[in-house]
Amino acid sequence: MERRNPGDSTLIGFVLRRLLAAILLVWAAATLVFLLVAAAPGDPFDALREPGASAATAERLRQVFGTSRPFFPRYLDWLADLLQGDLGTSWSYRQPVAVLVRGASLNTLVMAGPALVMQFALGLAAGIAAARSRRPLTDRGISAIAAALYSVPSYCLALPLAWLLAVRLGWLPASQMHSPEAGPLPLRSWLLDTLRHLVLPCVALIVPTAAGIALYVRDQMRAALGRGFVIAARVRGLGRREAELRHALRVTLLPVAALLGLALPGLLGGSVVIEVLFAWPGLGRLAYQAVLARDLPLILGCTCLMSVLVVVGGLAADLAAAALDPRAREAQE
Amino acid sequence: MRGPRRAVTRSARGGGPWAATGIALLALAGPWVAPYPPDRQEDVAGARLLAPLTRAHALAAGPHRILIVTDLRRTADGWEFNRAGRRQTLAALDLKEEPARRFYLLGTDTLGRDLLSQLLYAARHSIGLAALCVALALVVGVGAGASAGLAGGLWDEILMRGVDVLMAVPRLLVLLVCSALFSPSIPLLVLVLGGTTWTGLARLTRAETLAFRESGLAQAARAAGASAPRLILRHLVPQIAPLIMVFAALRFADTIVLESALSFLGLGVPPPAVSLGDVLASGREALYEAWWVSAAPGLLIAAIVLSVRSAARDLFRLHDPPSLA
Repeated sequence: MERRNPGDSTLIGFVLRRLLAAILLVWAAATLVFLLVAAAPGDPFDALREPGASAATAERLRQVFGTSRPFFPRYLDWLADLLQGDLGTSWSYRQPVAVLVRGASLNTLVMAGPALVMQFALGLAAGIAAARSRRPLTDRGISAIAAALYSVPSYCLALPLAWLLAVRLGWLPASQMHSPEAGPLPLRSWLLDTLRHLVLPCVALIVPTAAGIALYVRDQMRAALGRGFVIAARVRGLGRREAELRHALRVTLLPVAALLGLALPGLLGGSVVIEVLFAWPGLGRLAYQAVLARDLPLILGCTCLMSVLVVVGGLAADLAAAALDPRAREAQE
Repeated sequence: MRGPRRAVTRSARGGGPWAATGIALLALAGPWVAPYPPDRQEDVAGARLLAPLTRAHALAAGPHRILIVTDLRRTADGWEFNRAGRRQTLAALDLKEEPARRFYLLGTDTLGRDLLSQLLYAARHSIGLAALCVALALVVGVGAGASAGLAGGLWDEILMRGVDVLMAVPRLLVLLVCSALFSPSIPLLVLVLGGTTWTGLARLTRAETLAFRESGLAQAARAAGASAPRLILRHLVPQIAPLIMVFAALRFADTIVLESALSFLGLGVPPPAVSLGDVLASGREALYEAWWVSAAPGLLIAAIVLSVRSAARDLFRLHDPPSLA
């Protein structure tokens, strides 16, 4: 192997290499799930599962969806279809998987997007405040509250929240994405209605993760504040605020950017329970229903999309780190 | 000798290890501590959703008829009590035995079962399951990481790409698929939960192994003729044990959360086993009438996670004390 000059590793080459690895990763993850589902005992078109279906109908369904064929041709066909962007037809909905998944992932995005932004905004603000505070009581207080909140899983938090805000006070709706009568509403009240439905699941998703981020940021920032260059900046005559926010914070943000990539899988995984709990018609709930219905194409569609998002998240975090920090680029070599 | 002792007292002051030990002991002793059998439904209508701290009585009104009542009072010709929201009376002659006391510290659920007893059994189940999963993950993760780090080359590449693939699928989704498609059982759950937990451990162990491989200790051991397994077990593992323990404790907390989530979705181990997630799910059904059925298991899960995590943090500080005084 020739010794590469660190200067050779341009950002584009780095991106291309990582992109290739990401595609392989998604393929491998989807294959893993395909294998799992194919190895499972039982038959999705059992006459018992299809209400009112006779044995002949079940056999015909098996023919139509090709489940009676041997494993390898089925796998290769699925792969070929996938490469052409065809995710197949859902067995339980009898609709194209792509259509179902697209609608559901948009709904998930409506919930996860604001949650992601709020998580980092709140986490950073609390963490920085704790690290910078000179009174130990403030620091300890924020840290203790964050540690406690970080320990409450979002689905455990969701129930008391729903009880208080939806059942007891009746301020917010506790399920679905829109009110049943929300269809023909004018745009503004329709948005407001969606927003009201969004609050509970979003808060349940945000709080534990934001608390975790706050703890992490606090530790990182504390370590950064003690570093030589921050003290040097102070010695050079910079104000405390300048030194801490311009110099120490920048070093703190690097590992936090890496956390961003990890936050996405956590958010998607966590949103499965939250979506089921609040009947939010998103990707996690769709995957859950697909699993219950043994709907192989739909399970695979959801899994593929989720692993794409996870891999893209990781990729984005790596790219952010590489863009922010040349050392990370060299470390990839 | 001041250093280590101070570290120990400091970790004790955190309370995490004590709380974690306490919860674990309580869960272990569940069957002996629990006031009632966890699945006992004496009187569904009468004992349904009694609030925490309810003092009740069990009246044997017939050979197979037990009434759970509150505010029991003796009247001139019998008993007067509240049951299912109504004031009722019962003639003294109809009572076969003396009323027995029932005390529901945490209240009862929709089927009139004692919540505290259920939680004790459920905690035992969840904690035991998570411990098994983490044990499996420890063996697989440390084995894979150490062998990848020591062997290098193709083996290292295969293992680490495998780790990448496992990490690319959300764990809960793999769990959902596995337990919905295969009939869920405790061995299956341990296998799948443990089989998705080891990845981080493997990465950590590999990184530590790579550093260890170049160390003087490893070179000396190899020069003395130590084989690879001996090198791992006698020299590497003791070196990284504290770090591994911290990591394992964190994974333990995650596994509790994940397993409860799975049970909460109705895809955990089948009854009669009860997980904390099952209790939480029954609390969700009763949410409109009773807050305590969901609050109690939620708080217990949070308490387990909090104590285990703070114990891990203390352990980490013992291993790597902060340099600042």
